[in-house]
Amino acid sequence: MRALIVDDELHAREELASLLEETGAFAVAGKCGNAVEAIQALRKERPDVLFLDIQMPAISGFELLSMVDDADLPAVVFVTAHDEFAIRAFEASALDYLLKPVAKERLARTVERLQRGPASGGRPGLPRTPIRRIPCLAGRSIKLVDVAEVDLVRSSEAGVYVVLAKGELYTDLTLKVLEERAGLVRCHKQFLVNLDNVDEIDLEEGQAVVRTRSGKEVPVSRRFLPKLRDHFHI
Amino acid sequence: MSLALQLVEALSVFLVIFYLYCRSPAFRPLKPDWPQPRGKVRLYLVFSGIAVLGNYLGVPVVEGQAIVNARAVGSILAGLLGGPVLGLLVGATAGVHRVTALSGSAALSGAVATTLEGLMAGVVHLALKRRPERLMTPRVALVTTFVGEVAHMGVVLLLTHPFDQALAVVKAIGPPMIVANPIGAALFMAVLLERQREMDRVAAASSTRALKVAERTLRLLARGIGRESAGELAAIVMAETGVGAVAVTDTERVLGFAGTGSDHHLPGNPISSPYTRQAIAENSVVFADGVRQTYDCTVSPACVLNSVVIAPLQVDGAVVGTVQLFEPRDRRFLNMNRSLGEGLAALLSSQLLIARYQEQKSLLVMSELKLAQAQVNPHFLFNALNTIIAILRRDADRARELLIHLSTFFRKNLKRSSDVSTLEEELAHVGAYLEIEKARFEGRLTVETDVDPALLRIRMPSFTLQPLVENAFKHGLSAVLADGRAIIRAYRADGAALVEIEDNAGTWAEPAENAGLGMQLVDKRVKNLYGESYGLSVTCVPHEMTRVTVRLPAEGAAP
Repeated sequence: MRALIVDDELHAREELASLLEETGAFAVAGKCGNAVEAIQALRKERPDVLFLDIQMPAISGFELLSMVDDADLPAVVFVTAHDEFAIRAFEASALDYLLKPVAKERLARTVERLQRGPASGGRPGLPRTPIRRIPCLAGRSIKLVDVAEVDLVRSSEAGVYVVLAKGELYTDLTLKVLEERAGLVRCHKQFLVNLDNVDEIDLEEGQAVVRTRSGKEVPVSRRFLPKLRDHFHI
Repeated sequence: MSLALQLVEALSVFLVIFYLYCRSPAFRPLKPDWPQPRGKVRLYLVFSGIAVLGNYLGVPVVEGQAIVNARAVGSILAGLLGGPVLGLLVGATAGVHRVTALSGSAALSGAVATTLEGLMAGVVHLALKRRPERLMTPRVALVTTFVGEVAHMGVVLLLTHPFDQALAVVKAIGPPMIVANPIGAALFMAVLLERQREMDRVAAASSTRALKVAERTLRLLARGIGRESAGELAAIVMAETGVGAVAVTDTERVLGFAGTGSDHHLPGNPISSPYTRQAIAENSVVFADGVRQTYDCTVSPACVLNSVVIAPLQVDGAVVGTVQLFEPRDRRFLNMNRSLGEGLAALLSSQLLIARYQEQKSLLVMSELKLAQAQVNPHFLFNALNTIIAILRRDADRARELLIHLSTFFRKNLKRSSDVSTLEEELAHVGAYLEIEKARFEGRLTVETDVDPALLRIRMPSFTLQPLVENAFKHGLSAVLADGRAIIRAYRADGAALVEIEDNAGTWAEPAENAGLGMQLVDKRVKNLYGESYGLSVTCVPHEMTRVTVRLPAEGAAP
C-alpha cells in the first residue's frame, strides 16, 4: 500500500515512516508538513492510505479533509497525541485512530483493518465542515483567503485561480469542492461566483454576464442561468 | 415658707445652668464603664462649680450666721456619679469655700456636713455601682439628698456653738433644705438622664445608618473599588447619611462623586485638595469643620461645599483611597461629624479587605487548577515522548538530553502556584520547555534569548513565564505556516524590569471569555505580589509579531 504521511513535526513524520516501512505492508509515497502540501500530494501521488495528524498550523486535519473531493480521498488514519478528537475522527469516517507514540503492535492491527476494509472511498457522504478560508499560493508562501473576499473562481488549463478585487491566486482546491463547501455558485463550467460580491447581471441576448462590485465580468452559460436567476429571485 | 420658695428659685437657676451645660459640646455622655480619671476631673470641676454656686445663691438667715443653701446638691450628685472620693472632694471644696469666703457661726458645721454628704452619696454609688440603671435614677438622688440633709442638720446641731444658735439655725434652714434640695437633686438627675437617653438615641440612629450603608455596600464592594462601583457607593452613602455630597477616590483620582457639586467634581479628575493628599499621606482622618478650617474647592470657585471629613480607605494597612463627606456652606455640621466619617471608612475598609481576601482566595484556586492542568498537559507530554522516541532511533545521546529536559520541566511544574521564583529559575523552566519544542518543530523554530544578567535575581510569581511562552506556541507559532521565531528578553527600562516574550506570528486577538484566562491569571498574580503598577501588557502587529511584556520592580524584592 502506498501511504502519505501528514504531520507538522519532522521527527513525528520520520518515526511514522520508519514504523510503516518496518511493517513491510507500506511504501511511503510522501511526507507533508502541512495541509497545503498534503492537498497537492494527494492529487499527485494518489496514495492508498493517508496518515493524518489533527493539530497542524493554519489548517487542521479535519479542515484538510473538507478541502479534498471525496473521490480523491484514500482511507484515512488519524495519528494524534491525545484522544480528545476520537469521536470527531470517526464522524469524519476515519478508518482508524492512532495515538502517539505509536506502538508497533497497534500499527499491525491498523494494517489488518486496511487490508480487510475497502482500499479507498466507500464512505457515506457526511456533511463536512464548510470552508471559510481558501488556501492559496502567493509566490512561495501560502495565503489563507477569506471566502468573503473572493469575487470569483476560474479554472483553466493552468489550474484553479481564486480572483479577488485585486489580483488572483492559485489554489489546489477543485471547483467542485469549492462549489460544494465554500458557498460559491457555479455560473459556468469554468467559473464560480460569490453572490455576495455581485453588482449586476447583464441579461443581454446570447451570453448573460455577471459583473462584480470590483468590475470583473463572469460569463454565465445557458445551462446555469436558471439556477442563477433563482438565487436572485428574477 | 418663703425661704423654701427662695431656695427653689435658686435651684431653678442651677437647673437652667446645668441644662445648658448638658446641651453644650462640653457634655460627654457618661459611659457604661464609670468615668475614667479625665472624666472624674471634669465631674469634679462641674459639680464643685454647682456646689460653690449653691453657696452664693443661698439665702442668709439668723443674722447672717447661716445660709439656706443648695450646696449639697453638688456634692451628692458628684458622689453618686463619681464615687466617695469625688463626693468628698466636691463637698470639701464647697465647704472650704463656705468657710473662707462667707462668714457665720454655722459655716464650719455646714462645711463638714456637706463633705459628709458627698462621702455618703459615694457610699451609695459603691453599693449600686454594678447596677447603673438603678443608681442613675431621680429617686435615688431624692432619697440620698433627703437623708443627707437630715444628717446635715444633725451635724449643725452638734458642731455649732452655742447650742441655742444651732437650734435657731436648724429651725431656719432645716425645713426648706430638707424639702427643696432632694427635689432639686432629683430634677438634676432627671435632666442628666434625659440628655443621656437622647445621646443614646442619636448613637442608635447613626448605628442604624451605618448598618444600612453596610448592607447596601457589601455586595457592591465584593468586586473591589472601581469606577462603576465608586459612583454607586457615593450615591448610597449620600442617601443613607443625608450629607450634602460624597466623594470616593483612589490614591490618585476621583472615582465617584454624588451630590452638590457633581457638575465639576467629575470622576476621573486627579486629586487636587490638600486635605485629601494629607489624609492619604498620613493615613488619618482629616476634618475641615467649615469654621476654623474651611474646605476650599480647587476645581471651581463657585463651589458651595465648605466643610469636609476625609477618611482613608485601607487594605492591609495601606491606603487605597478615601471616602469624603461634604456639607455646603448653609448646612455645615448638620449631619456630619468626624466619627461618622471614621466609622464609615472603617466599615468600607473592612468590606474591601473581605473583597480582596475573596479575590485572592479564588485566584489561588484558579491558579491551582490551571497549574494542575499545565502539570499534565497531555498534548505536550505525548508529543514530546513521540519526538524523543523518533530521535532515539538515530541519536541516543540527544534523546537522553531531551528526556532530562522533559524531567526538568515536569519537576518545575510541580511547584505550588503561590511560590515566588527568580527570573533565573523561570528561565530554566521555560528553557527546558523550549528545548523540547525546538526538537518537536525541528527546522521550523528558532528561539533567541537576550537577558540582562543583572536581572537574574529579580523575583516573580512562579509560573509567570511558562504560560506566556506556551501561549506564544499554541496560538502563535504553531498556527502559522511560516517558520517561527521567538525572542525572550529581559532588560531595565524607566526604573522597572521588563521581561518580554515576542513571536513572529502576530495572531494575538483580544481574548474572548475564557480564552485569555491563563494570561489574566499571570497578570493578576503579578499585581497581587507587586501592586497595580506592575503586570502584563500586549503589543500586536497582525501577521508580524506579538509581544507580551511583564513589568516587574527592578529590585524584585518580594514583600
